[in-house]
Amino acid sequence: MAWDMQKLIRSFFASNASVTIIVLLLIMVFLMREGAGFLGTYKHELEIYRKAGLELCDLVDRPLAQHQDLSSKLRRAVTTSIDPLIQSTRARRDAAFYIKREIEQSTTLPREALTQALEKTPALDPAKLDQLRRQVASETAAAAATAAISNLFSAEEVARLRREMSLLSPEVTEMPSFLTELSAAFRVMDKEAKQKYTQLIEASDLFEEAPDSLRAMLSELKEDVLFTKEAAMEYFTLEEGRQKLLKAAEVATDLKEKADLLAEAEASKTEEPNYQENLAPVLERREELQEHITQYADSITEALKTLPKTGDVPEATKLLAEVHEHMPLHVQAMRKSLTEIKEWQAEKPVSIITVVGAFFFGSAWLTNSSWQDFFGFVPLLAGSVVIALIAIVIATPLSVAAAIYTNQFASDREKEFIKPVIEFIQAIPSVVLGFIGISLLGDLIKDMSEIPWLSGLPGFPIQERLNMFNAGCLLALMAIPTMFSLAEDALNNVPQAYIDASDALGATKLQTVFRVIVPAALSGIAAAVLLGLGRVIGETMVVLLVAGNRIAIPDFGVGPGFIFQPAHTLTGIIAQELGEVSRGSAHWQALFMVGIVLFAISLLVNGCARAVVRRFETPKA
Amino acid sequence: MSNPSSSPATSAPIVEIRDMDFSYGSKIALHDIQLAVERRRVTALIGPSGCGKSTLLRCINRMNDRVPSARVTRGAVLVKGKNIHDEDVDLTQLRKQVGMVFQKSNPFPKSIYENVAYGLRVHGENNVEVLDDAVERALRSAALWDELKDRLQAHALGLSGGQQQRLCIARAIATQPDVLLMDEPCSALDPIATLKIEELIHQFARDFSVIIVTHNMQQAVRVSDYTAFLHLGKLIEFSPTELMFERPKEKLTESYLRGTFS
Ligand SMILES: Nc1ncnc2c1ncn2[C@@H]1O[C@H](COP(=O)(O)OP(=O)(O)OP(=O)(O)O)[C@@H](O)[C@H]1O
Ligand SMILES: [Mg+2]
Repeated sequence: MAWDMQKLIRSFFASNASVTIIVLLLIMVFLMREGAGFLGTYKHELEIYRKAGLELCDLVDRPLAQHQDLSSKLRRAVTTSIDPLIQSTRARRDAAFYIKREIEQSTTLPREALTQALEKTPALDPAKLDQLRRQVASETAAAAATAAISNLFSAEEVARLRREMSLLSPEVTEMPSFLTELSAAFRVMDKEAKQKYTQLIEASDLFEEAPDSLRAMLSELKEDVLFTKEAAMEYFTLEEGRQKLLKAAEVATDLKEKADLLAEAEASKTEEPNYQENLAPVLERREELQEHITQYADSITEALKTLPKTGDVPEATKLLAEVHEHMPLHVQAMRKSLTEIKEWQAEKPVSIITVVGAFFFGSAWLTNSSWQDFFGFVPLLAGSVVIALIAIVIATPLSVAAAIYTNQFASDREKEFIKPVIEFIQAIPSVVLGFIGISLLGDLIKDMSEIPWLSGLPGFPIQERLNMFNAGCLLALMAIPTMFSLAEDALNNVPQAYIDASDALGATKLQTVFRVIVPAALSGIAAAVLLGLGRVIGETMVVLLVAGNRIAIPDFGVGPGFIFQPAHTLTGIIAQELGEVSRGSAHWQALFMVGIVLFAISLLVNGCARAVVRRFETPKA
Repeated sequence: MSNPSSSPATSAPIVEIRDMDFSYGSKIALHDIQLAVERRRVTALIGPSGCGKSTLLRCINRMNDRVPSARVTRGAVLVKGKNIHDEDVDLTQLRKQVGMVFQKSNPFPKSIYENVAYGLRVHGENNVEVLDDAVERALRSAALWDELKDRLQAHALGLSGGQQQRLCIARAIATQPDVLLMDEPCSALDPIATLKIEELIHQFARDFSVIIVTHNMQQAVRVSDYTAFLHLGKLIEFSPTELMFERPKEKLTESYLRGTFS
């Protein structure tokens, strides 16, 4: 009986363990099954992308996208150059118009009453109208007399402004003469300023217009190829439905039902578009396209020659230098597309390696696009990794220092306070942390970044309240309890014998802590950091709410300030998109692939943590 | 209570314990201890388990300080004539003068070199040449130099048990202490390793004093010049080893040495 009982208990625990393992295996199998189809589906989509000719258009479109960035830089160079010259006249004009609007607004009631009265048919009693007119005049005069007028105007001008403004009335359509003068002055100034920078403006205009004809042609081509692609997509959707109907017909027992199903299937039968035929007219225009590209490249090279190298304000000089630096690369890329177009073949099969590469090294995650969906995983990975690293960089010193203090220096009462408080952080729901990130931390970081004497820090002032740094800070907070507890355990596990030996040699407390205890606990601390990393990589809610969800590889070129850019993450994208995509679509499968990779990363990080512990474990004497 | 009868004291004792009471909280562990340890002699502490040998040893380098309620309640401990509980005593300096080797070998998880150099480093020595010299000297004194000179950077925990204990001894003597406390240093070692350490102790007595706790009577006879017998926190007898083992003065000592102790 006693033996039976033992056996029972044993099998109870064994079955619990095996249930856990089986569930884990099931999850892996399920993930794999859903994700495995992805490569096939994506390959098929990319094949259509190629056969229909979208790829050909993208060969031009992709390098051409740089044009926008460059031309906006040029436009900014123009405005920053002109601005200092026209600033004061513009400010005077705007201030005067502002005063006029203010006065009109404060006298809205009598003005409207008068306007309505004037519109009435039959016309109102003139005496009544007069009374309304007097009302407007007196209120306007009062408003004009008290209106606050900025110090851009001299005393005389102020008097004139007040005088002219006091005469405002809905019946007077003419602009007060002072305002007209100010507008005219601004126009003159603006013209002068533009004349001063004619060369810059002309080059900028030239550059801006350069791709117009190329764009026009490209959009014609795009329309054509998109038509083919959509026809193909429709065909495949219908075909899939038809296959389903046929299958259903096969198993149907009722004869009538069977016939119905077959008829329905027959009705939905369509033709796959003839890609070659559809593409032929596009391919015929290939040379024309190349001509346009050459033309474009030539004209921007020309524009670049006339573009001044420096501006009169530092900002403009900086922008111009950037343009001068990037433009030749842009031209080069455009010219490269010429050969690519020539060599491009619609019939070339898409190899599976290309598909794998397009996923693992693809730099664009583009979904629900009217043109073509891309499932490139790099932007998400980059976001996840950067955020996790920020979190770890912040959390490691904090939690390790806290652990050292708590374990070695704190009194028992302090320990009783510190440990539960830090562990309590774990109890904060991540959604709540998300709130804090959105409402508090985001504003805090943004406000701080606008403090003038902090503006020297990289990335300051920041553009977005929701960014990777913000998310990283919150994730650090979430990782601290784990890392603190594990690091504290590691310190606690340092054998007392080491401490005895160090004490007996006359080491001070600090020396013992930093020369013996911390080094002996280092592997445990490293494992704590790695496990914290695992926790942070897998965290979803905070990054979804706070990271800013911009799907793009962070622009590392701006220096350390890139951490203030928004990003999307592996976890965030799954949480955000999985609910909205149709089951079994390429997008759905792509999200499962992301899940698989995430799973692999977590396994890897945990494996590393174990390896670190095992590798550096001090052999027990 | 006996004092060594044939006192060859040519100079003042290196360690002197005067009428000391010691307690862990309310528990009195040592009672009225009087002991004078001579320079360049080996003194053995023997006695049944729990009689307070380790406690007495730890009184000499104030290792008991760490136990919160432990204190010397009466009397004094003097090292080189100086009361070690005086306000102006620097604990780190005291421990530089009084080294200690523990029952279980406890080298740091560092290299052999760093283990031996540790004591000097914590006392502020950073000069590589000085450290190199001191490490070599300490390892030679511990009879480890020839075995280990080619792998000073190897991890200390890769050594055998006997080597580890000798490394701990080298570490303790690297700072050139005046007294070396050894708490059952051979209890975890095989006879050959034990023998090696006993030889070391003999050599050490040329340069400094050794106080060794041991449960092994033969060992006490082999290594020590004086033996102190403790029982229930009291020092029963303290005399030259030969004398004590041949003609113990106290009944208690005699029955303990004969093994007819209850
Ligand atoms: N940290 C401590 N707190 C309270 N009591 C202690 C402490 N350390 C030792 N004691 C007690 O003091 C007495 C003497 O202990 P001690 O360790 O000195 O004995 P010992 O002679 O070294 O014994 P053994 O031969 O077993 O090592 C024992 O009764 C022990 O229980
Ligand atoms: Mg003991």
